[in-house]
Amino acid sequence: MRVSRLHAFVLLVLLATRGFGATPGTLSFQIRDTKGAPVADAVVALIPLDAAAPVAAPTPAATPAHEIGQQNEEFQRYVTVVQAGTRVHFPNQDKVQHHLYSLSKAKKFEFALYNPGQAESVVFDVSGTVTLGCNIHDWMVAYLYVLPTPYFAQSGASGDAVITAPPGRYRLELMHPRLPAPLKEELSLAEGAAATRAFSVTLKPDRRIRRAPDPKAGSYR
Amino acid sequence: MLLLVGLIALVQGVVYVLVSQASQRSAMEHIRQNLGVGARVFQQSLQERIETLSTGARLMAEDYAIKPLLMREPDVATLRSTLYSFTTRVGSDLISLFTAEGDFLASTDPKLRPEELAPFRQLIDTATQSDLERASGYAVLHGQLQVLVVVPLYAPRPQVAAWFGLAYPIDRAFAQKIQEVSQLEVTFLSGAVTEDPRVLATTVAAPGGAELSAAFATATVDAVAADGTTSLVRLAGKPYVTRFEPLPRLDGGPIRIALQRSLTAELAPARALERVVLGIALAALLAASLAAWSLAREVSRPVQALAAHTGRVGRGDYTARITLDREDELGQLATAFNDMTAGLAERDRVRDLLGKVVSPEIAAQLLRSGVALGGEDRVVTILFCDLRNFTGQSERMPPQEALALLNRYLDRMSTIIEAHGGVIDKYIGDAIMALFGAPVPHPHAADQAVATARAMVAALAELNRELAAEGRAPLAFGIGINTAEVVAGNMGSKTRLNYTVIGDGVNLAARLESLTREPIHATSVILSDATVQALSQPAPTRSLGRVTVKGKAESVQIHALD
Repeated sequence: MRVSRLHAFVLLVLLATRGFGATPGTLSFQIRDTKGAPVADAVVALIPLDAAAPVAAPTPAATPAHEIGQQNEEFQRYVTVVQAGTRVHFPNQDKVQHHLYSLSKAKKFEFALYNPGQAESVVFDVSGTVTLGCNIHDWMVAYLYVLPTPYFAQSGASGDAVITAPPGRYRLELMHPRLPAPLKEELSLAEGAAATRAFSVTLKPDRRIRRAPDPKAGSYR
Repeated sequence: MLLLVGLIALVQGVVYVLVSQASQRSAMEHIRQNLGVGARVFQQSLQERIETLSTGARLMAEDYAIKPLLMREPDVATLRSTLYSFTTRVGSDLISLFTAEGDFLASTDPKLRPEELAPFRQLIDTATQSDLERASGYAVLHGQLQVLVVVPLYAPRPQVAAWFGLAYPIDRAFAQKIQEVSQLEVTFLSGAVTEDPRVLATTVAAPGGAELSAAFATATVDAVAADGTTSLVRLAGKPYVTRFEPLPRLDGGPIRIALQRSLTAELAPARALERVVLGIALAALLAASLAAWSLAREVSRPVQALAAHTGRVGRGDYTARITLDREDELGQLATAFNDMTAGLAERDRVRDLLGKVVSPEIAAQLLRSGVALGGEDRVVTILFCDLRNFTGQSERMPPQEALALLNRYLDRMSTIIEAHGGVIDKYIGDAIMALFGAPVPHPHAADQAVATARAMVAALAELNRELAAEGRAPLAFGIGINTAEVVAGNMGSKTRLNYTVIGDGVNLAARLESLTREPIHATSVILSDATVQALSQPAPTRSLGRVTVKGKAESVQIHALD
């Protein structure tokens, strides 16, 4: 289902003055599920609709944030957001091998029998959702959202997220691993505006595999 | 007896019919329950099959090799061979692979036509829309009913990267498995219910599938609205209790499962029981008939003997005695009969004796009216007959001889009197007093008396001829006859009485007899005028004029009988 349609959610104050020097607007998001509980790991993005609007290319050098390590037979991050063209590192910090793969259309790749200590990286140049798995450990799953915009944010445990972007028209997209499809709507961001947008989303049940207790790690029952 | 036997036969017939009907009903009910169980077994077997396929498919989806294969632009031949290698692991001969959107990628069956992919796509759509981890349904592939299952290939879970489509044939082998468990015949039918149902697979042993289809074509018509209920269907002439279960089909037309149980087979033990019941019934009937027959003999024979005996007694034969050698009521009855016969014989002897002591008519009158004192007024003709000088004669012979002669004489005379309807009132020595018209009234009493007198005269002449031949002295008598109203009845004491008549008329008769002794009248028979008047047929009489008799004030007219 789609989130309640924005009736009067129009951020209009002043017409945005183009180019540098314009004061950016701030958009705050409050993402809740149907019971009102905060939704973590939701991704909100503003995709510029004005052709002239400059989109800064990501720096080739990876920041530490763009790293999805494997530790304790889990992905360290469940949800990661990057701008298209970003290189993401996948360091194996475990004591066992992994077999990272993605069958997603945005990027298909695999690191077959990937040894501990190895830190392979991939440049994600096509926008889309990349679902990461491990061919050895069925329960391992991670989502990488590759976006054609630098204006995005990820909700934390509070279910809140904030995006600061120059004034202009945008397509707002809201994504979550448990949302069947992104929620989309158009909006205009005015210069210096500070608005809040609340979402109530219906999530699918969490179908992640519950990891079986490791007999070596735990005690006998 | 026949009634009794008939009744027993009827009861046994009714019992047999009821037992038969009850066993049929019970068989039907039993089959109905079995069919219900069979339907559940069938559904359960399908579910188990689906579970098995799903489990297999899930393991297949987790396969290590399949993901690298899908990593690149898939090579269809390699994919097909991969799927083929899965078939032995999963237990499904038909495995197809579809994209996450439901587009066909590869299949183990190269002949799978595009329209046969539609059911799989339908299932994938259903699973996607409802976020299911598997979906299943029924379709006909290559003319064979199959259960289809689609399961997702997760990469990783819960991300659906592709779909596996598996099929498992619901064929004769499957039907036989159901039959092994449920002991029911199983048939799968496709096609519209009302027209041209086609048998897809069956456990029913029939000569030809076409005939079976035809049988179902006629049978299913009645059962259109009866899914889940039972009906009686004839296949190859044999009755089958049938339950139709619908199967939802993905690719159009309805599919139907017919679960059947032969009524004949179900009833076989009951039929055996019925035969035993019938045998017992017939044996019991025979025994009852024999018992009834022997009972009839036991009862009817003595009853018939008693009836015959009664007939003989009725005809007056009291000598017969019936002998029944038995202690029961019939034996008692026979004894009672014998006692009764003896009683009757006794009474008859008494009556006979009575008839000898008194005249038969008086005896009859006594027996009829009872013995009571008193009399009634009657017009009676009285005949008096007295031997003359017999006392003198008898003194000259021994008393025995005198009595014998007297009896001989009296016997002759009495016979004549009785022969003429007269009644011997009494013997007074050698005299006879006879009555005519008493105790039984007679219209021609006077005629009878006169005729009697004539016969007596003739009889005496005959007796005298005999006596003369014996060289003995002849006898002579006089007869006086009078007709008068007298009192007739029983006279005497309460313990001993005589039927007789009393009155002047009686005395006159005696006097008239005395008059015959007088030679002047020259006759042995004198009639009073009253008697002559009473004659209906004139008799040759000769008037003797009027005489005065002793004890009578008036003279009376008398007549001689010549």
